[in-house]
Amino acid sequence: MRVIVAGVGYRNLRDHSIGVEVADRLEKASWAGDVVVEDLSYNPIAVVQRLEDEPPEQRFRRAVVVGAVERGRAPGTVTAYRWDGVLPVDDEIQRAVTEAVTGVIALDNTLVVTRHFGALPDEVAVVEVEPAVQEFGDTFSEIVGHQLDGVCELVRLLATRADAVEQLPRAPLGGPAAITSAS
Amino acid sequence: MCFKNLPIEFDAQGKPYLRAGVANPYAPTTTVPRGAPAQLTAENVEQLLRRNGFIKELDFDPVTRVAGALAFHTVADFNARKVIEARSMATLFRGYEVIMVGRDPRDAIYITSRACGVCGGVHSVTSAMAIEMAIGCVPPPLGILVRNMALALEFLYDHPLHLHLLAGPDYSAAMVGPTNPSLLARARTTEAAHAEVHGFRTIGELMDDLNPLSGKLYLEALHMTRVAREAYVLICGKYPHPQTIVPGGMSSTITLSVMNEMFTRLAQFFDYSKKLTAIWDDLTDFFYAANPAYKHVGSRRAHMIDTGIFDHHEAYDATYANAAAWGDRRWATPGVIVDGELVTTDLHRLNIGVEEFVEHSYYEEWSGNGQRQRFPTDPAGYPLSPYHPWNKVTKPRPQGQNWKEKYTWDTAPRWDRQSMEAGAYARLWNTAVARKLPPNPFIESTGTSLKLRLPKGALPEMEIEWKVPDVWNAFERNRGRAYCTAFTALVALNNWTAAMDRLKLGDTRTSTPFEIPKRGEQLGVGFWGAGRGYLTHHLVLDRGAVANYQIVTPSTWNASPTDRWRQPGPYEEAVLNTPLLEETDDPKQFKGIDILRAIRSFDPCMPCTTHIHSDAGVITREVNTCACGVDDGG
Repeated sequence: MRVIVAGVGYRNLRDHSIGVEVADRLEKASWAGDVVVEDLSYNPIAVVQRLEDEPPEQRFRRAVVVGAVERGRAPGTVTAYRWDGVLPVDDEIQRAVTEAVTGVIALDNTLVVTRHFGALPDEVAVVEVEPAVQEFGDTFSEIVGHQLDGVCELVRLLATRADAVEQLPRAPLGGPAAITSAS
Repeated sequence: MCFKNLPIEFDAQGKPYLRAGVANPYAPTTTVPRGAPAQLTAENVEQLLRRNGFIKELDFDPVTRVAGALAFHTVADFNARKVIEARSMATLFRGYEVIMVGRDPRDAIYITSRACGVCGGVHSVTSAMAIEMAIGCVPPPLGILVRNMALALEFLYDHPLHLHLLAGPDYSAAMVGPTNPSLLARARTTEAAHAEVHGFRTIGELMDDLNPLSGKLYLEALHMTRVAREAYVLICGKYPHPQTIVPGGMSSTITLSVMNEMFTRLAQFFDYSKKLTAIWDDLTDFFYAANPAYKHVGSRRAHMIDTGIFDHHEAYDATYANAAAWGDRRWATPGVIVDGELVTTDLHRLNIGVEEFVEHSYYEEWSGNGQRQRFPTDPAGYPLSPYHPWNKVTKPRPQGQNWKEKYTWDTAPRWDRQSMEAGAYARLWNTAVARKLPPNPFIESTGTSLKLRLPKGALPEMEIEWKVPDVWNAFERNRGRAYCTAFTALVALNNWTAAMDRLKLGDTRTSTPFEIPKRGEQLGVGFWGAGRGYLTHHLVLDRGAVANYQIVTPSTWNASPTDRWRQPGPYEEAVLNTPLLEETDDPKQFKGIDILRAIRSFDPCMPCTTHIHSDAGVITREVNTCACGVDDGG
């Protein structure tokens, strides 16, 4: 089964760069041929087109998407879940497309736009990290920096083990609050 | 006479000078510029709101389907069905001027590109040109040609995106049905004049396919953004922030293979442009026929400014001294239009007439109080205002919103103290009227129109004609943008052909080596354009580092606030002139579609992905943009 591991975020935006950093690190690791690691931190419409470029017989069956998202959780909280794929109302999707084509990069937008246009695999594992800081810089806050190795390991597990993905709770965007953990 | 408000006159050789005997020529006088409309005072509006139940505040925060953060405050009279107050608010601070100070100027190419997530390349090129002028570096012909193609491709991404993803839904069945059901009913039975070109039998069918997310035109525009982007990255490395733009040209390697791959993508825009122009002609004609009052939606005086763009590869020498000459040979002619009349195409005159004011902006004044004006003249010795970008200092001062005082992060640029509009259509208008186009087989400037000869594709070869309109409004802006897509594709074709000729001669050089001088002070300015029109970067170099950097974008002009003379900015003026034609008498059901059509027709691009600066040096992303708490009386 082909799997894509995707980092989403901005470079040099401290904690908001964690998706990019995870993708950078994992890209250097050795993988079985069916796992592709990419930085998908660009216009989600272009991401749709990138995913659609795969030949039908080689379309990705699972995506593991990682990035920082502010949801008001304790800074450093890592949330992992299987996205239920439920899309917001059309107005929100339209807003997401507008933001996509005008240059906004955000994990939610990427998921919504790629799902709406049918480019995302059915199975999507999302790993979110609650950022502590949002400012220019190439270092993480202490609390998010501590999570980096663990997030990489978690993403590697979800990319290679179907049973690990199945153990995740199925949840809407943002994940179920009950399974979040700051540890 | 070029200037009517600034005391600038011209000698027998056409050189500008300040009129003698004017003690303080750039004093911010109370004299209102000629012909300018004026906003009501905050007190007037407050009284009207208090006394009349049918006068209501309407806030659009954020204005959706625009790039970046824009909020808009209006007060509408629902009896007269008109807007009586309009305030445009840029809700994020574009801090690039502050970020650039003290840096190596080459950083500007990469840093200022981040001012926009759609058209970063235009900022890269404009900064490269400012550096070229400051250090005296001239790109080789092929470098100029490739640069032109790159930016044309960026616009071919930008224009369809705006027309069918951002503005288009305002004219879709999904929007027209709820707001003007009788109009949609009429559209269902109105045959489309250009059905053989775009394929829609009726206007109603066309409106169906403008529907967001599901309409064929919406989806087709998404696809065309890919085509343009693919061609762009062949020469720019990546999109939207190119990696190959350098002072002195382009660092790309251009081969016949690259050229051919680019052409296969460019060629797709010839047919697409035929369809776009046919669609927007039909839509515009339908609305005008259904209700002539639509001619007033988004209307304002035809006051426009454009720096011109796409240099001729045998003319551009990167000097300020010759800017008027190489500007005149551009594929899009620079110019200033006042009340529909072209008053100059001279880049020097355009440049010296520009001033920026901050009475209603979150900045401190940098002029006055005995402060020395850094540059009384430009490098050619022509007079400069203390409010000119080369003299400006960006001094952010965040504070609460107050219509009497400050309410936006945008400044108020003015030319000859008049509120000017920027846009792709200004590019067309100047070029059509000036008749200065280089000889070529595809584009003809007639003095009143532009004739565009689009090559055969799946559709036959076709000549289309954009005529200078006799009204200026939201519909003409969109129609102009559609024609500008065709114009841009043909400019790219002309440059592609010339580049192929260079390659056949064995000329593959795309850049000129340069060094940044480490001594002395140098000035430069990039006169270029974004998809949305006018773009300048004014640069002051001091001992090899940036001492001042000032960017004026098209949306700086268009979204500008009311100025010290109560003269509204272009969005504000267009909304003040917009009749409320929505078919509802219930303010609660009111969607403000005509107001939104007026605003979106400008293709607003508020500088996005920017950060706000505070006194504490804290950088955050979000600011409170809600207009609800604005202190009108404050």
